[in-house]
Amino acid sequence: VSDGGRDLRLDFFRGLALFSIFLDHVPGNVLAQFTLQSLMFADAAEVFILISGYTAGMVYGRAMARQGFLVSGVRIGYRVWQLYVAHVFLFVMFIALMAYTVETLNKSLYAEELLAADFLSEPAMTVMKALTLQFQPAFMDILPLYIVLLGALPFVLAMYPRWPWVVLVASTGLWLAVQINPRIALPAYPGPDRLWYFNPLGWQALFFLGAWLGWRGTREALPWLQRRWLLGAAAAFALVAFVIRLSGTLHDTFSWIPALVSGKVLWPFLSKTDLGLLRVVSVLAMAVLVARLIPPGADFLGRRLARPFIICGRHSLHIFCLGILLAVVSHLVLGELFGGVLMQLAISVVGIAIMIAVAELMEWFAAAQVATGRASGRAPIAGGEG
Amino acid sequence: VRARTERARAVAWLAATSLVIAAGPAGASAELVCATPEGFAAYEAPLPRTARALAGSGEVVVAVLGGSSTLGTAAGGPDLAWPARLGAALSARFPAARIKVVNLSTPRQTAREAADRVRRDVAPLRPILVIWETGTVEAVRGSGVEGLREALQEGIDALRATGTEVVLMSPQFSRDTDAMINFTPYLTTLRELADANDVPVFHRYGLMRHWAEAGVLDLRAKETDKRRKVAAKLYDCLGRAMANFLTRP
Repeated sequence: VSDGGRDLRLDFFRGLALFSIFLDHVPGNVLAQFTLQSLMFADAAEVFILISGYTAGMVYGRAMARQGFLVSGVRIGYRVWQLYVAHVFLFVMFIALMAYTVETLNKSLYAEELLAADFLSEPAMTVMKALTLQFQPAFMDILPLYIVLLGALPFVLAMYPRWPWVVLVASTGLWLAVQINPRIALPAYPGPDRLWYFNPLGWQALFFLGAWLGWRGTREALPWLQRRWLLGAAAAFALVAFVIRLSGTLHDTFSWIPALVSGKVLWPFLSKTDLGLLRVVSVLAMAVLVARLIPPGADFLGRRLARPFIICGRHSLHIFCLGILLAVVSHLVLGELFGGVLMQLAISVVGIAIMIAVAELMEWFAAAQVATGRASGRAPIAGGEG
Repeated sequence: VRARTERARAVAWLAATSLVIAAGPAGASAELVCATPEGFAAYEAPLPRTARALAGSGEVVVAVLGGSSTLGTAAGGPDLAWPARLGAALSARFPAARIKVVNLSTPRQTAREAADRVRRDVAPLRPILVIWETGTVEAVRGSGVEGLREALQEGIDALRATGTEVVLMSPQFSRDTDAMINFTPYLTTLRELADANDVPVFHRYGLMRHWAEAGVLDLRAKETDKRRKVAAKLYDCLGRAMANFLTRP
């Protein structure tokens, strides 16, 4: 893990994760069988949160050392505000969609079953609960997690210089407590039993570990990260996990291929809500492998083909929100037009092309602003902050 | 994880398209009503005890757990619901057996509530088979897959302990809910549970999608009368498809 300059690997793999998140959310997408979720015990969400933690620790860690707690704290706060606005924007889209569809649905075979959706019966409460991040309908569950994690970051970063071990032990301890008792969580709407889909008290462990690595990386290299045994252990784990997961994926299609380990054994360690053990270890093992096997200046990062990944990863907040929006639109399109594998492929290609085009537009705009000197003294629009 | 259903679906679409082309526009809809796509149940676990019981001449009790769509509300009542149609289809095919399909469905029942009823209401019936329609309430409320998985696992274990066979049935498909309600994780969870327990899934979601896409069922019918007719037709198709599903060779 390098310091100094921009580590293009971070942008590249975050871009890859953003494309995967979009592909995984297109309903029934054949391409989703070839993303990380079919090959590993972690998926794009873990990769995204780890890299985001790392980048945020690096960028804001430097800022905190240079500008102090207050200024960099406000800077993070501004970023949290942007995320919150994006969340509210997505909610408005959701409401618009719902208002448009609900008339149709009330006169459908689905009317009775939709009565289970409490949010239809008390719209005022629903709006309130969306503003307090407690109402998390489809596709609106990951931004609240990100908002809470980034909101806590200034305080965590302020503690790293003095008590890094206190933070790491507390963070891991909290994660462990959540693994033992999943009811340690934030309440969601509608109650009384509903919890956040992504439990921040579990996921914080990955984000703050990433932030710590990013923060440390700006100061000095971590010698134990370079040890041979770590690479060996990561490679061994990744290989075993890959074989087990792949056998399960293949078993689904070709029943004569046995699933090497039964789902019943794995589920307790695979919780998406609480970030189960196998998910954490998988994403960390992959991070070690990538960090050690792909040098920061690897050739492919300079190639034309890598550029779409890198620029999307650099503008992760906007491209992430755009990806969610495109996923919702893809549901509408598939519901309207149907169409098989070809339609899924077409939607996947068009969606990713739109993501790339918007990232290119933002790159161009940022460069244009720098060229005319308008960006001086302002918060950079060029993103990459976390 | 969705590979199997995906492939089955892809094959089905190809088959349906070629059938439509072969039959021509006039004969197409009549040909295709209630037809399940090729390979619909090809990979699902068999139900040997149920098959043996149906072939015999004793009493065969099938218990059904589910929600509104299994209760037949949209068609007008339980007589038109798919469990009743299943009973009729089975009785016609196995006149020697005394077949009883008991519909224990309750509107908006969660998997947790249904699992609690397994011991209380299902066990006393001594069913040979339980068909468990599930996942809808969890998906509509977005309450997460882990609670669903735990409840279903508990229910399956309890039923298996008494030698009862189990079929899981996935939620209904609608062309208009998908952008608001993300069914994918819930469908995946049913698939995973079924694979881990060697229990078959009756993939109603995929089947309804197939019928809607082939144009044989207008799931968007607006007028009350027409909607009732579509619902009755749908439930009849589902009941017959389920009868075929249970008696697969």
